[in-house]
Amino acid sequence: MTPGQIMLALATVLLAAGLWLLLPRGARGRRAGAVLAAAGLALLAWQVARFDGRHWGAEAVFWALAATTVVSALGAVTMRSPVYCAIWFALTLLGTAGLFLFQGAQFLGVATVVVYAGAILVTFLFVLMLAQPRGQTHYDRLSWEALLSASTGAMLVGMLTAVLVGQTGEKEPGSAAAALATTISQHDREQRILHPQHVAQLGGQLFSRHLVAIEVAGTLLLVALVGAVAIVSHGRPAAVGEGSDRG
Amino acid sequence: MAELELLHRYLALGALLFGIGVAGFLSRRNMIVMFLAAEMMLQGVSLSLVAWGRFHNDWGGQVLVIFVLTVAACEAAIALALILMLFQQSGELDIAFWQHVREANQPPFVDRELPDEPIQIEHWPTLPPAGVEPEVSLEEILHRSHV
Repeated sequence: MTPGQIMLALATVLLAAGLWLLLPRGARGRRAGAVLAAAGLALLAWQVARFDGRHWGAEAVFWALAATTVVSALGAVTMRSPVYCAIWFALTLLGTAGLFLFQGAQFLGVATVVVYAGAILVTFLFVLMLAQPRGQTHYDRLSWEALLSASTGAMLVGMLTAVLVGQTGEKEPGSAAAALATTISQHDREQRILHPQHVAQLGGQLFSRHLVAIEVAGTLLLVALVGAVAIVSHGRPAAVGEGSDRG
Repeated sequence: MAELELLHRYLALGALLFGIGVAGFLSRRNMIVMFLAAEMMLQGVSLSLVAWGRFHNDWGGQVLVIFVLTVAACEAAIALALILMLFQQSGELDIAFWQHVREANQPPFVDRELPDEPIQIEHWPTLPPAGVEPEVSLEEILHRSHV
């Protein structure tokens, strides 16, 4: 094993232990869990990223967004009150929207805020308020197999990043990805994916090359709408009876 | 920032979001929190897709994320309807209530007793009455009525 792989394994173990301590188990140790998870994340970041001193402004923006996203994701999964979970998840969504913008995907950044944080999350909160009027319940203070699930998640992260680091670590100059990265110039990107008229270009792609897929997606939305109404009205036999009497 | 470096960072971030979502989905018992964790996995995949799209200078990644958004909206509608229906039947959002539909060879889940939490007296913010009504002299009232 190379030193990089050992470091990654250590980061995985730290992340797993931190997640385990953070998840609701009906016991103490959440602060230690937060410290362990933060150490694991920092180690992971140190292994994956190489700091680029020339563009320190872009680096600062990226790290702020990344830290917001990951910390609030941890909060969304581990908070005991489901309302706090939803609010932390909203912060995760804002972080991802910022990361989309950082990649030049302006439409997706805005769409994430509008569709996810604006519509889906508010519906979540609505259902939560409808279903859980009182504070913490016993099932929010306990989780299934916290150790096993935390290890599963951390192992997944560890293996995926090990593949990433392994690709760059040893054969960096000659690797296929590095060769591919140099074939597409910045000018090429500004002609396509970083075009100044981003939304017009994306819309052109959507409604020419992916037209059938757009139609199918619209149909899917309609079917889901009808399905949701059917599910809710079948769950309440009394209400259905009343409706048919009136009709 | 070099494009390859950017791709690596975004793939690692996407893996992190996906892994945290997996851990949350497997361990949490509140159905709505499980669903939030599933949405978080979708977010991780979306980050990776956008990063790949930028790396290959191709619109496919972003178009695919738009479809992920569509599917997530459909999923939210159906899942919340299902959760509400299950809630009406069980009265709680606990997924362990439905453990009798497990496979026949699985042992039942036994709920652990929790120590009672110390009852905290919560202090909610209160608003003081906004000022008092000023006393108006009789003379002023009379003066106004004449105007």
